[in-house]
Amino acid sequence: MKTKKAFAQKENSFFWGVVALVWQALFFYLPLSFLLTTSFVKYLSSTGVSYFSFDYYLYLFQPVYGFIFMRSLLAASCTVFVTLSIAYPVAYYLALKVSDRWKNTLFALLILPFWTNFLLLVYSWYFLLENDGLVNMIFLKLGLISSPLHLMNTTGAIYFGMFYCYLPFMLLPLYSSLEKLDPRLLEASADLGASFWQTLRNIIIPLTTSGIKTGALLVFVPAFGEFVIPALLGGDRTMYVGSVITHYFLTVRNVPLGSAFTCISALVLVVFVTVIFKVFRFVFGRDSYGS
Amino acid sequence: MRSIRLKNIEKSFNGELILENINLTIPEGKFFALLGPSGCGKTTILRLIAGFETPDNGNILLGDTDITHVPINHRRINTVFQNYALFPHMNVFDNVAYSLMLKKLDEELIKSRVFKILKAVRLEHQIYKPINQLSGGQQQRVALARAIINEPEVLLLDEPLAALDVKLREQMLIELMDLQETLRTTFVYITHDQTEALTLADQMAIMNYDGRIEQIGSPREIYEFPISSFVAQFVGKMNIFRGTLHIGSKVSFVEETNLGAFEVAAGARVPWMVEGGQVLMGVRPEKIWISKKAEENFSNHLTGKVESIVYHGPATQYNVRLKNGTRIEVFEQNEEHFPKDKIDYDDHVYLHWQKENAVLLER
Repeated sequence: MKTKKAFAQKENSFFWGVVALVWQALFFYLPLSFLLTTSFVKYLSSTGVSYFSFDYYLYLFQPVYGFIFMRSLLAASCTVFVTLSIAYPVAYYLALKVSDRWKNTLFALLILPFWTNFLLLVYSWYFLLENDGLVNMIFLKLGLISSPLHLMNTTGAIYFGMFYCYLPFMLLPLYSSLEKLDPRLLEASADLGASFWQTLRNIIIPLTTSGIKTGALLVFVPAFGEFVIPALLGGDRTMYVGSVITHYFLTVRNVPLGSAFTCISALVLVVFVTVIFKVFRFVFGRDSYGS
Repeated sequence: MRSIRLKNIEKSFNGELILENINLTIPEGKFFALLGPSGCGKTTILRLIAGFETPDNGNILLGDTDITHVPINHRRINTVFQNYALFPHMNVFDNVAYSLMLKKLDEELIKSRVFKILKAVRLEHQIYKPINQLSGGQQQRVALARAIINEPEVLLLDEPLAALDVKLREQMLIELMDLQETLRTTFVYITHDQTEALTLADQMAIMNYDGRIEQIGSPREIYEFPISSFVAQFVGKMNIFRGTLHIGSKVSFVEETNLGAFEVAAGARVPWMVEGGQVLMGVRPEKIWISKKAEENFSNHLTGKVESIVYHGPATQYNVRLKNGTRIEVFEQNEEHFPKDKIDYDDHVYLHWQKENAVLLER
């Protein structure tokens, strides 16, 4: 009976595995290969011939695109750093200090605001930050400022919006990995003479690296390609990777150039993330005395 | 190696009083066992000594120093946890070296100390193995090595053998005793297993369900001279009779259901031993002599019918039903391959014991 059931389960998981694979092939790898092909194909309208070419990539080899990549990398890195700094203590507190009775309630309260539509969340900041918005109004009423602060359409507003919107993507994986942490390990560490910071450095962080990595990826990848927030809170005055892609695909409709840019940005992303993970591993990974 | 003193300790969790007025002195350099049923608060006592909890009232002294409010990481007290709590992301070496690494000692010094201690617990061939590749017994030894490497004043052990199988447990018991002999560190051993406590301890304390300490003494004192029926029945087995005391030229105990009067050798007279006092009398199963014929030369005897026989190997347990319905347990050594007068089910038997072998209990 038992083996039969196990076999059935195995078969089942095989079935769903195939479904997932087909799905991924159809809707991920296929479009990606289209994108890649398009970026290398040049069409000459005068002769009506298409041929293989590096022209789009060579065109993108300009300092201005380098700056855009740097800008997006910086914004995404800052977002990861800030959301991690905020979410880690919150998740730690929630997972290890709050009694089971309150845990779920508090967690639901934290996540609840993010059930709202993403655009709406960003737009609400627009109403808070504009010149006659709530923030300026309160500051004026309190007499802290004499004329409205210019808050909208600044880099600050973009960064602020990113921190705000990406926080739950960091919070969820951190919480789930801290939740699994055995509190007795923390007691054992203290018992052996560790201060809180030593325990954090030697036990808590190394045992929650998976949560930190997942959270960092979940925030970094979309933040790197973000275009809604720069458009709405930055007034579309500074270009980010996401803005450039939107520009080529939707505004000027230069699909091959947009494809080439997308491919490069994907490459930049992969290289950057790999390097960062290597550094992270070097700092918090095993550093054995013995071996 | 210093003593531990608990003075008027009180502790409650969520309004529930767990420990009330605990006074306990754990002598220095001794193997001390704290024995009690599950949920009696013995683990709370250990957590108070370790510093994981702070008492609501009272003081904890290490030697002459009050450590009640000293943080965990500043107490020279280390713990072997029930499920070891080894760091899963570190190998054997790093786990054991942890406390030395925190002190930022010289790398070579750490190495030599870790190698020495791992040799002492016979793990010298597992030094760089990850924790999850060790057996239960090996993990136990890592936990032990990790706790003693920093030479604590007191070592706390929270049911450390509970997860091991019987054979391994017996082996570890002996290793623990040897270790305590060599280190001369004060060991505080928490357990609900009376055999472990009796085997290991120089001194032991018995806690009851209410979180009170019933009796403190050497294993022999506790076993032979329990002060209450709780202690008597928690440590080993004890047949208990209820009745009244008669003090004449001899001290005798009259059983309340007319089983008879039994002579008792009451050594030290205590205030509750008064004429007509309601008391209990206890006789250990192995101190009763069972036979099919009545024997002379015994102070006391009873009759009954054998209800069941449990063969243990070295000994046999007879459960005998008395005429008042009480069940008495009797242990007999299996001294011979072919017992001459084999006792069987439903046999009518005589139970005898000497007056010195019964104890009087107040409650």
